[in-house]
Amino acid sequence: MNILDIRNLTIELETDAGLVRVLDRFSLQLAEGEIHTLVGESGSGKSLLAKAILGFINPKWKITADRLWWRQYDLLNLNPAARRIITGRDMAMIFQDPSSYLDPNDKVGAQLRESIPRGELSGIYLKRRADRQTRAERLLHRVGIKNTEEVMDAYPHELSEGLAQKISIAMAIAHNPKLLIADEPTTAMEPNTRAQIYRLLTKLSASQGMSILMITQDLTAVIPESKQMSLIYCGQLMETGPTEQLMSTPAHPYTEAMLNMSLYHQQSEPKSRLPTLTGAIPTLQHMPIGCRLGPRCPYARKACVQQPALRKIKSQQFACHYPLRDGDDHE
Amino acid sequence: MSKLLEVRNISKYYTHKDGWLPGRRICALEPLSFSLERGETLAIMGETGSGKSTIAKIIAGAEKPSSGELFINGQALDKMADQQRCRYVRMIFQDSLRSLNPQITVGKQLLEPLLFNHDGRSLEERKKRVFETLRKVGLLPEHYHFYPHMLSSGQQQRVCIARAIVLEPQIIVADEAFAALDPSIRAQIINLILDLQQDMGISFIFVTHSPEIVKHVSDKILIMHRGKMIEFGTTQALITDPQESLTATLLQADNNYKVPLHSTTKE
Ligand SMILES: Nc1ncnc2c1ncn2[C@@H]1O[C@H](COP(=O)(O)OP(=O)(O)OP(=O)(O)O)[C@@H](O)[C@H]1O
Ligand SMILES: Nc1ncnc2c1ncn2[C@@H]1O[C@H](COP(=O)(O)OP(=O)(O)OP(=O)(O)O)[C@@H](O)[C@H]1O
Ligand code: SF4
Ligand SMILES: [Mg+2]
Ligand SMILES: [Mg+2]
Repeated sequence: MNILDIRNLTIELETDAGLVRVLDRFSLQLAEGEIHTLVGESGSGKSLLAKAILGFINPKWKITADRLWWRQYDLLNLNPAARRIITGRDMAMIFQDPSSYLDPNDKVGAQLRESIPRGELSGIYLKRRADRQTRAERLLHRVGIKNTEEVMDAYPHELSEGLAQKISIAMAIAHNPKLLIADEPTTAMEPNTRAQIYRLLTKLSASQGMSILMITQDLTAVIPESKQMSLIYCGQLMETGPTEQLMSTPAHPYTEAMLNMSLYHQQSEPKSRLPTLTGAIPTLQHMPIGCRLGPRCPYARKACVQQPALRKIKSQQFACHYPLRDGDDHE
Repeated sequence: MSKLLEVRNISKYYTHKDGWLPGRRICALEPLSFSLERGETLAIMGETGSGKSTIAKIIAGAEKPSSGELFINGQALDKMADQQRCRYVRMIFQDSLRSLNPQITVGKQLLEPLLFNHDGRSLEERKKRVFETLRKVGLLPEHYHFYPHMLSSGQQQRVCIARAIVLEPQIIVADEAFAALDPSIRAQIINLILDLQQDMGISFIFVTHSPEIVKHVSDKILIMHRGKMIEFGTTQALITDPQESLTATLLQADNNYKVPLHSTTKE
């Protein structure tokens, strides 16, 4: 059963140059306890999608969808107050620039204690306060912070970037959300710490059935525990399906390009020039018609000015007129 | 000839103030020294909170050291006026969003450093330089008129890179400038840096967690651990013969998903 079901979500915003589509009929399904990775280049609309799920979107922007459901709730047709309650209770997000989402005027400890839900504490005031303190400390331990006292006593600007990321992870998991959206959560961490955070998140997802939507720009950053993944380009869904399958037998030219580009594969001479995908992501005002990858796609032909429909081979779905694999390719 | 950059015994203490109570002193950096030649690239690696950003900020002049001295081309850095200094050293900060002014368009932010260092260039010439720089970092001419909040994080990071290179300084200090970039743009920026280095002998100091990038571009590596420099040497030496186990760990490739390269074989 999918607990998050998004079908043909479109977000349009008003600019000086008219209405632009940041997200173009994007679909995504997430099952309970599933870890799903969303991969796409910078500016492809990943953060906006995350914010749209949480309802943190400028009210002036136009959002339409065939479906935007969270469990039994139709999020788009819920009244704003009810939606806030449901997202506040069930969802959490680790933001991309954690230090700008922490309140600069308040100590870390106070902000962390604040994020622990009141309903879970009982007893008289003093006991509740002590409980809150121990729970805050335990949260910090879980994200691998040992000098809890020092960290809780600091203001956000006094933290290193990696610490700020850890704090925002601690705050996000404080109320045991059912859905966690992690927008590039570990960019400021070195491999060991990163692995530790991923272990924590995978454990949470396995033990509490927490679904996680990981967001990243780099295919090599996809963790093996993420059994599903989707690729987004310029607000359009390119390919989605089981991670292993997409990595070994991509059907979409974009997936292939992303695989070939990851630095890991280039056993190149030091200081040699690296290969890049030709061209740059266009601005929203100048999106190509049809398949938005068109101008940068080596396989593009005439038919590509029509937006390709989503096709399915086994559990792999992709939107391309000239896929690298065909339907009759049986393994 | 003197070294391009010489760092002598710099250290840094922070005092955590708590109202009127005497503050606790935290040592973010124990005294350390190293030097860098023209055109060389230095990578700074280490765990989170180990003092990497602190070194970067001190070199760029964004933070004063508690002790020690810095020299560029033999000249003491603390005696230099800010304007002169920013022609020598430019910094790209870790939190790009906060280092951009939200009220000013991208184009104006890039023109600003040229205003004080225009070398007699006309406004037209300066604008041309800005457009050229935007193109170099993979942005489009349209982005000139954008405000920072209209850009994604990776695009903001590229504006910061553009702002650093627009003056063509002698040293660029970049604090995790690559983390927010996607592979294609990252490759473009690395190529750009290598070009700048070849054409103008720019030196590059960068903080990163990516062993692939370090192996690809750096000449020297500095390893930090809890405010101490525990290892410093050529990239080659640290890869083949690391003296500390932390060095070896940090330089290990950290690919989560071991993707079989071009393996379209069928089971
Ligand atoms: N307020 C805004 N006004 C106009 N355009 C905007 C606004 N906010 C975002 N955009 C545009 O929407 C697009 C998608 O932005 P988004 O932040 O979702 O990208 P992203 O995929 O998260 O990229 P990154 O990996 O760099 O964070 C970008 O091209 C950006 O320029
Ligand atoms: N303004 C400040 N006031 C007090 N303490 C600070 C301040 N800035 C940094 N620190 C402390 O100094 C230490 C080193 O911080 P620094 O930012 O240099 O770490 P870093 O190596 O860059 O880590 P990261 O990889 O997480 O960015 C940390 O313990 C941090 O909490
Ligand atoms: S639809 Fe056409 S342009 Fe788009 S990815 Fe497929 S071949 Fe390339
Ligand atoms: Mg983003
Ligand atoms: Mg730092």
